[in-house]
Amino acid sequence: MSECCDVVIVGAGPAGISAACILADHGVETIVLERGEFPGSKNMSGGVLYGHDLARIIPDFAERNCPIERNIVESRIWFTSKEGGYSLAYRDRIFEEQRRHNVFTVGRARFDRWFAEQAGQKGVLVVCGTVVTDLLKDESGKVRGVRTDREQGELEAKVVLLADGINSLLAAKTGFRPEPDPEHVALAVKEIIGLPEETISERFNVAPEDGVSIEILGSVTRGMNGVGVLYTNKNSLSLVIGGNLKDFARLRLKPYELIEDFKTHPMVAPLIKGGKPREYLAHWLPEGGYDHVPRLYGDGYLIAGDSGMLFNALHREGSNMAMVSGKIAAETIIQAIQKSDFSSESLGVYAQRLKDSFIMKDLKKYRRFPGFLQKHEDIFNTLPDSLSMAARDMLTVDGVDKKTKQSRSWKMIRSKTSRLRLLRILFNAWRSVK
Amino acid sequence: MAKTPAGIEIPEIIPDKCIGCQICISKCPVEAIKLTPDGKAWIDPEICEGCGQCAEVCPVEAVDLDRTERIKAGKRLRDKPFTPVSGQVVSVYIEIRNGKAADVSWELVGKARELADKLEARLAAFVLGSDVEEFCARAGSLGCDEVHLLEHDTLKRYVSSLYGHALSELAHKVQPEILLMGATSHGRDLAGVVATHLKTGLTADCTGLDIEEDSGLLLMTRPTFGGNIMATIFCENHRPQMSTVRPKVFPMPGLNEKKWKLIRHAWRPPESSVPELIAFIEDKSLLGIDITEYPVLIVAGKGACSKDSFPLLEELAGLLGGVVACSRPVVESGLMPYERQVGQTGKTVAPKLYIGVGVSGAIQHRVAIQGAERILAVNNDPDAPIFQVADAGIVGDYAQVLPELISRLKAKVKNHE
Amino acid sequence: MHIVCCLKQVPDTADVKIDPETNTLVREGLESILNPYDLVAVEMAVRLKEKHGGRISALCMGPPQAQSVLRQAMSLGADAGILLSDRAFAGADTLATSYTLAQAVLILNRKTPVNLIICGKQAIDGDTAQTGPGLATRLDYTQLTYVTAVESFDPKNKLIRIKRRIEEGQEILEAELPALLTVELESARPRRASLPELIASMRKDIEVWDKKKIEGDANQLGIKGSPTWVRKMGAPPPRTSGPRFEAAKGLREAVDQSLDIIFADGFMAEELGIPTGVHHGKDSRGN
Repeated sequence: MSECCDVVIVGAGPAGISAACILADHGVETIVLERGEFPGSKNMSGGVLYGHDLARIIPDFAERNCPIERNIVESRIWFTSKEGGYSLAYRDRIFEEQRRHNVFTVGRARFDRWFAEQAGQKGVLVVCGTVVTDLLKDESGKVRGVRTDREQGELEAKVVLLADGINSLLAAKTGFRPEPDPEHVALAVKEIIGLPEETISERFNVAPEDGVSIEILGSVTRGMNGVGVLYTNKNSLSLVIGGNLKDFARLRLKPYELIEDFKTHPMVAPLIKGGKPREYLAHWLPEGGYDHVPRLYGDGYLIAGDSGMLFNALHREGSNMAMVSGKIAAETIIQAIQKSDFSSESLGVYAQRLKDSFIMKDLKKYRRFPGFLQKHEDIFNTLPDSLSMAARDMLTVDGVDKKTKQSRSWKMIRSKTSRLRLLRILFNAWRSVK
Repeated sequence: MAKTPAGIEIPEIIPDKCIGCQICISKCPVEAIKLTPDGKAWIDPEICEGCGQCAEVCPVEAVDLDRTERIKAGKRLRDKPFTPVSGQVVSVYIEIRNGKAADVSWELVGKARELADKLEARLAAFVLGSDVEEFCARAGSLGCDEVHLLEHDTLKRYVSSLYGHALSELAHKVQPEILLMGATSHGRDLAGVVATHLKTGLTADCTGLDIEEDSGLLLMTRPTFGGNIMATIFCENHRPQMSTVRPKVFPMPGLNEKKWKLIRHAWRPPESSVPELIAFIEDKSLLGIDITEYPVLIVAGKGACSKDSFPLLEELAGLLGGVVACSRPVVESGLMPYERQVGQTGKTVAPKLYIGVGVSGAIQHRVAIQGAERILAVNNDPDAPIFQVADAGIVGDYAQVLPELISRLKAKVKNHE
Repeated sequence: MHIVCCLKQVPDTADVKIDPETNTLVREGLESILNPYDLVAVEMAVRLKEKHGGRISALCMGPPQAQSVLRQAMSLGADAGILLSDRAFAGADTLATSYTLAQAVLILNRKTPVNLIICGKQAIDGDTAQTGPGLATRLDYTQLTYVTAVESFDPKNKLIRIKRRIEEGQEILEAELPALLTVELESARPRRASLPELIASMRKDIEVWDKKKIEGDANQLGIKGSPTWVRKMGAPPPRTSGPRFEAAKGLREAVDQSLDIIFADGFMAEELGIPTGVHHGKDSRGN
């Protein structure tokens, strides 16, 4: 006879643990199966979390010693050329005072572990070192549990929640999620650079517990459709840069070259100066986004978080979407338990509620963005340099009047990019994120 | 510095420095220190008694406690300033197995002579067994002032409980300040028994011994955390101060013309059952080659962890009269047996010449080879830490460097012929 | 038949590093695990239980977090997990640890007589291999260290026959019970718990015994009962480094120059038959 419980969750990441916490709060017997030796062990990276979303699961997370690295009090966007770039920064005192923990960075290995401990205290069994190899289905195809790689490894449940992340073995195996085609795969490279805490606070002009996040567009991706990100941890900086896999192949770019280049960019180099590389990793991920979200429910199962493609390669809000989708999934399951109905129809409420949440709205909003970027490569190659040349010209004090400079700049930009094209870029960009 | 409600000054953890190693937690006598979920130590002011031991053991100085206060507290711990007391004894247990004494015992006699001289104490050797008198003269000739001999038929074969009983009784009679033993399988089996009988402290597996000047206490240094940290340990109020010491840490002593005397002891074995030896399967292969016995070690590391490298390594070893050993990754890959492993979890070695090929030189490996007289490192990574301890290094691929090294060495040796 | 396994929770030392530049400890997610030798001890006990029946008690001294290693033992087949946890136990060295464990075994023994104690040969964080012998001595059990196999086990006639490893080979010994074994890593390959066992172990209770429960003498417990103290910790002493030569800039030069340094001052000249002071004799520090 196999083991059974109300709900089995596959994966002890943000999505799975969020769901587990909510379920446990409602007295639902829940077992989380994690393939790593402990939660977070398979996750070396750091991430940016939203306090608002976490508070809906653990309201007193700050008092429970959530391992926060730094509160983000300033967001910057850079538009870079080879030799420099534009910077747009927004800082607000409210994030340093009333709305602390609005957005903060965490080390995922530590955060995941802490998060799973909270679930454990609520009565969830988090079973580690156990790989889910397949789903159990009855004759009608309804999911009735999971099979693991342990002996007598079947575990039956009323509902199975798949939250096993982007490289979900199950999603591929069960066909619930189609394999992404190469066009929609991004390759991301990440490096963690260790620096003394005071140095980071000084360089980013923030208090010891506060930090900055920077999204970087333009030439750093070497003309590829992609984005760079830099954010502050307690005593390290995370640098991420990524682009479309197809572009990597086309431009014959090696991922580590890209990040090495990124590190020598004149706007980046002074921030990481003297730092010690701690970790380097490159991995691929589907670009995700609205058009790639599979059906997230069926008879006896739900999919949450990254495994449901609920993230956005551009905005990298995977962890937050994971937590919110996990929460909504849990709430759906609670309703289903009350009705004792675990059919696709009953669980379909999940999809509807997701649609009403910010997740789908955000994903929809940026729906055209990947396509827009693909169609307007100028943004990543010619345009940054032209714009930079213009600024450089304008800011250089050399006796030439501003008006002459202005028309000179325009001429140069137009010689590379037609006026019509410029207009179209602006319009399309606006439309794509509208 | 913080104070408790009762006004006692207590230490505080500096979170930024704390690395969460938890050493302080294990040392806190009142369990006032806890690990916060973010992996930092935290001292509960309600519980803390301000003894300062956490500050004492913290490897990264993350415990904020006034240093002068700390030293005062440390001083208070000790009874009186040290003055050598006449009539003290430093002792060494001479390990005899199958009619042969373990080299480490003689190495310890040499070291113990030094310690005894510092303490102005006598040096005693304990020789136990059946028909083992011949070893007494050797102990005497290497610098012992007295050799205590305990012979009995039941000691023909090593049995933990019998040897433990006999040595404990000897120690009881002689009352040594210090008792040293080799950290061999025999020595480690026996030391735990003796220390428990004598109810004294035992520091196992030491790599360094010294006498602290102002207290006269034996300072025992041993690697801990898999060799990543060296801990210095002392045993203040219990005697003897016991330590097992790794082989090859101290040099073999030279002959000493000093006079010595033999003291025989009678002993009655305890009436308890003794394990019966049913069979003995001699199996030297299990032990393999003892890499610590060779003057030259050619050590293969991760960077040379390939079947192709071995003919070259063997040839180089043959040329220098050495043997091929390896670091942990090579054992893990199954290419070499555990017995050939150098490193903290493997063996400490002290060859005349150590040549590391593709060895990156993790700290535990570096610790294990620090007794080597000269070190040559070959590695294609110029930043490999092994270069930090090498007398000379060659940055390059072993497949290119080794053939050249072999041919140049051959030329050197040939020149002479 | 009653077997007691003594366990220790240890930091996964593979993770502890010292930063070579700053000589400080680097800790990235230092994990606590069941000492690998003790895991083998549990496996050995479970195999004996499968053959001879009886009961296994897992014993661990440590802070509350250490109960995870007891759960692991229970997932593999231990019937009970007992955590010896008390402020008074903290800071124990081998002498105090063996005392605390011995007291606990005596309590266990009152309820169901203990035939056998199995310990790992050593803990990977201390490598002392002394707690086993200390415990055997205190309890006056037959001490059998470095055990690689149990050949036969006969609780009725109070006999055990084991194979143990010593330098020159393997001994087969027959000894009286009760006995204490310390086991080598190769003596048994630990199994993986089945899913129901794993889940059941997480639901089981762990008994927590304090100093009152084990009727401990306060002077023999924890730091009070520990004769040894740690005076200081630090990185191993440095060794100075010599020059590095790049093979890419000239293989022969790199080899020759480094050999000159290694064999300077006639080092090993006699053993190897290297001429001294002829071709490479520029360095004459030794002469």
